[in-house]
Amino acid sequence: MSEPTFGAASGTPAATAPARTGRLSTATRAILRLAQPRARWFVPGLAAGVASLLCAVALLATSAWLITRAAEQPPILYLSMAVVGVRAFALGRSAFRYLDRLTSHDAAFRQLSLLRVGVFSRIVPLAPAGLADTGRGELLTRLVRDVDALQDLPLRVVQPLATAGIVAALSVAGVWSVLPAAGLTLLLGLVVAGVLGALGSGVLAARAERELAPLRGNLIGQVLEVVENLDVLTAFGALPGRLNALRQADELLRRATLRRSLGVGVQGALLSLFAGGATVAALAVGIPALAAGGAAGSLAGPAFAVIVLVPMAVFEVFGTVPAALGAWREVRSSAERVATAVPTVIPAEIPVEVPVEVSSGGATGATSAIGATRGQRARVVELTDLGARWPGAETPAVTGVTLRLAPGDRVHLAGPSGAGKTSLAQALVRFLDYTGSYTLDGVEARLLPQSEVRAVVGLCEQRPWLFDDSIRQNLLFARDTATDEELLAVIDRVGLAEWAAERGGLDARVGERGALVSGGQAQRIALARALLADFPVLVVDEPTANVDEEQGDRLVRDILVTAAEDGRAVLLISHTPVPDELITARVTLPGRAPGLRRAGGVLPA
Amino acid sequence: MRPLDPRLLRYASAARWFLLVGAALGLAQTLVVIAFAWLLSRAISLAVAGHGPAELAPTLGALVVVVVARAALVWLLEVAASRGAASVKSQLRARVLGRLAERGPDWLAGTQSAGVATLVGQGLDALDNYFARYLPQLLLAGIATPILVLVMLWQDLPSGITVIVVLPFIPLFMVLIGQATQAVQRAQWDALQRLGAGFLDLVGGLATLKIFGREARQADRVRTITEDYRGRTMKVLRVSFLSGFVLELGASLSVALVAVSIGLRLVDGSLQLGVGLFVLLLAPEAFLPVRQVGAQFHAAADGLAAAEDVFAILDDPQAPAAPGAPTLTGPPGAVRPDPDALRFDRVRVRRSSDRAGRAAPELTAVFLPGRLSVIRGASGAGKSTLVAALQGFVPFDGAISLGDAPVVPGTPRPWLAWAGQRPGLLAGTIADNVALGETSADPVLVHRALREAGAGELDPATRLGVNGDGLSGGQAQRVAAARAVYRARLHGCRVLVLDEPSSALDPEAEERLVSGLRRLAAEGLIVIVVSHRSMLRDAADQIVELDGAAHV
Repeated sequence: MSEPTFGAASGTPAATAPARTGRLSTATRAILRLAQPRARWFVPGLAAGVASLLCAVALLATSAWLITRAAEQPPILYLSMAVVGVRAFALGRSAFRYLDRLTSHDAAFRQLSLLRVGVFSRIVPLAPAGLADTGRGELLTRLVRDVDALQDLPLRVVQPLATAGIVAALSVAGVWSVLPAAGLTLLLGLVVAGVLGALGSGVLAARAERELAPLRGNLIGQVLEVVENLDVLTAFGALPGRLNALRQADELLRRATLRRSLGVGVQGALLSLFAGGATVAALAVGIPALAAGGAAGSLAGPAFAVIVLVPMAVFEVFGTVPAALGAWREVRSSAERVATAVPTVIPAEIPVEVPVEVSSGGATGATSAIGATRGQRARVVELTDLGARWPGAETPAVTGVTLRLAPGDRVHLAGPSGAGKTSLAQALVRFLDYTGSYTLDGVEARLLPQSEVRAVVGLCEQRPWLFDDSIRQNLLFARDTATDEELLAVIDRVGLAEWAAERGGLDARVGERGALVSGGQAQRIALARALLADFPVLVVDEPTANVDEEQGDRLVRDILVTAAEDGRAVLLISHTPVPDELITARVTLPGRAPGLRRAGGVLPA
Repeated sequence: MRPLDPRLLRYASAARWFLLVGAALGLAQTLVVIAFAWLLSRAISLAVAGHGPAELAPTLGALVVVVVARAALVWLLEVAASRGAASVKSQLRARVLGRLAERGPDWLAGTQSAGVATLVGQGLDALDNYFARYLPQLLLAGIATPILVLVMLWQDLPSGITVIVVLPFIPLFMVLIGQATQAVQRAQWDALQRLGAGFLDLVGGLATLKIFGREARQADRVRTITEDYRGRTMKVLRVSFLSGFVLELGASLSVALVAVSIGLRLVDGSLQLGVGLFVLLLAPEAFLPVRQVGAQFHAAADGLAAAEDVFAILDDPQAPAAPGAPTLTGPPGAVRPDPDALRFDRVRVRRSSDRAGRAAPELTAVFLPGRLSVIRGASGAGKSTLVAALQGFVPFDGAISLGDAPVVPGTPRPWLAWAGQRPGLLAGTIADNVALGETSADPVLVHRALREAGAGELDPATRLGVNGDGLSGGQAQRVAAARAVYRARLHGCRVLVLDEPSSALDPEAEERLVSGLRRLAAEGLIVIVVSHRSMLRDAADQIVELDGAAHV
């Protein structure tokens, strides 16, 4: 899969994604809510995380108290609690941390399943035509990766921020109770560091991103182009020039990165600065209090040591905040991309489901109109002046198609590439809405539930999807009651008996995305599925697109002969000629004005 | 996995620079940490002993200076890391691309081109984290930890010994737990891979599922797959999180041990408070880099994996397609020498790895000027590979000659114009594509080439996206053919080779292409087309079946 969408994609997200510094859209917020585990799952991990960090602070505080108190040489008995405490906190810190990671990961994974189901349910009515620009493999992969990246929201954003916040607040309260002035300086240090850190990181990261992203996108696009077209560039002597341009793009990016690097470490440096500052401030307010201690009786040596050292521990806890803010930016852009790719509003070009009427006295409205069940013949499809348009396209992909398909008809729909043949196929199975008229046994398809239309009209896709599973599973979903004998029989009918036997029968795997299956074999599997599902009307979209000519002729012949055996109506869409004896009619779509297809083309290549 | 691959230093001089600068900064940072701990413990112990604010003011002032210096060093180290990463990425990228240009397309085809493009593009960005998070900590673990331990030994022998005893356990347990994690992971590997991809599989196949009315129940399947994935992943995590546990435990336990031991020795008066506090503050610092190295292990692993892939390309010992001495210089054979003919004499491509394990076919054939020749053969028989041999991309046995001159790999081919099976269009206008390799496009010639390739209806000024996005498959094919025609006309190439130029064309467009090719042949070019199509077969003057027999 070497589709060059990275190059295109790297340019688009910066342009199409909502401004990074702006507010979250409602759709993005809905996606984020879906990613955050419910309290019942999330709180145990949070509690363990807080306990672990509290132990870390307490370990240093108790150690400081223990040492300073010991220096006063009290009876050793007075120290025994502190000794126990030091050891317990040391153990507790690591044990709670282990618990924290286990429970919070478990919660995130539990939520992942809800998240995936939620996104999936939103995709279902849109797929395939309505997924904004995700029709192509690489972008689809990115959508799925983005959904999975949302796991980081609870794990790397909410959890660290919440634990650090809670522990910092408790520590401030603790220090305050010993010496209010020291509590105040610690609080001030934390707040200023937090605010500066959050603001600074956002501004710096956004600026760096604005400056670097286009340069990076340009470079990556050029790299892809050179690597993928190495043969062409070499053959036409264009390689040295391209490599030169690439080196220049690389140098531009490198220089910009160097310029930006000065802002990179500022956050860490600020934290370190404020941690030290808080310690010095604690000394500055603690020393006078200690000196006056004899009189006021307020501050003893050991307590003084505690308030001086606790800020160090708190700031170490606080050190997770910059990473969490960085993770937040990534999670947010993932959520934004998911929200954009899966629109909440279904575009007008995608048909919406007809609500099934159950109101007026029993008869289930539309369903009964054609009483569709698979296996029944006598279906007549009539198209009158049919047109269809892709979401976001300005002009229809296909217009003015008029044809009639009766049982036993085998119609070849021809037309030059770009004439809208695939769009027509997508309209026939109601993936795209249509203009004009499309009737099934006289009933307008628009008025029927989509599932009813698809029970009658089946489609063998140009690129049939093969699931990463066994041959059996790849057939069985077309009719899950089929026995192994029936499956083997249908495999035989489509001419794959030998192929299946060679691989070890129905249990053989087809490989990820059908990697172990050739284009022609994939088409035959798709045909086998259609035969199993027993569609009365079958649309076959460019079965020979990925098959060489000789094999293609045989494939087309096999498809037409086999599919017609049961009196099925077949609409074969193909730009290559089909022998007259195989078909009953031929329809040719006129070529459209030459030039560009829909920009960003969802159309399969 | 080696924490620091020496090849990184060999291939990227910027990495050497970073190590030097980083080590210097690391050393400075260590000294600042010691100064901070010493000043802080001194301030506390003096204050507890009853010294007032005025006496302690100089110490506090020194502390402020140290705090500022510490922050500055943190910043400098990050800046250095970010710069180092940017420069190293540039250097590695340049080297890999240079290597690609050197080795040529055939070598690239043997690797995975998508993988290489991704690696050289975004893949190298994984080095950012390696440089920003891992290497500095690795340096500190090598510099700071020993120095801090030495200082502790010098100040308080028992505490130093405690740390020395605990420290080695950390890497030991890390290795043991790492191995256990791998064992668990291996047991789950297949299932995890499959479940990990399961969601993608369902989303990708959704259209197919809808066609068969199966979309409704798939949400349940998504849930099942993910829950199964969770169960199996948690099994792995339960073990792998143990390494984090050990890191934390080692560090905090030794702080506890040091604190308690110091406390007890303070009680009997054998130690002073200042020294005790100083050592207490140093103990966690000695562990910090080691903990960070462990915690950032995964960030490093991605970067190192990317670097390894780069090194694999750079280290590949395979020699470039050797300007191979053709093994056969023998007599011209049965065919009469024609001063302008392109001759294949027992040409067999030398291939170490034929995917199907078949022997490459041998070809003996003569292609004459003014003739349209079609090469046929079953798919996978090696037709395109023979074309690659003609282009000089793959080594071969036998001899190819054009007129009297032998054609050897690795030399330029100004006499050859070619269009491959894949159109290979680039971002830019159609005219840019047709005139690829030229500094400027001749509009008249561009238009003529497009017409002769059967694409006269396309506007040369039309702008294409990446990979020719915006054209249909058939249109792209014809533009690619036009590109070859343009080159042939502009440079007066004697040979025009088109590989499957019409597989995506409708009959009408194919007809226009065929008549364009006939015209070019009539002008005296050697026109060779690899194709299955019957229309081309019928138009050919000569058909070469790949077993080498030429039917004229």
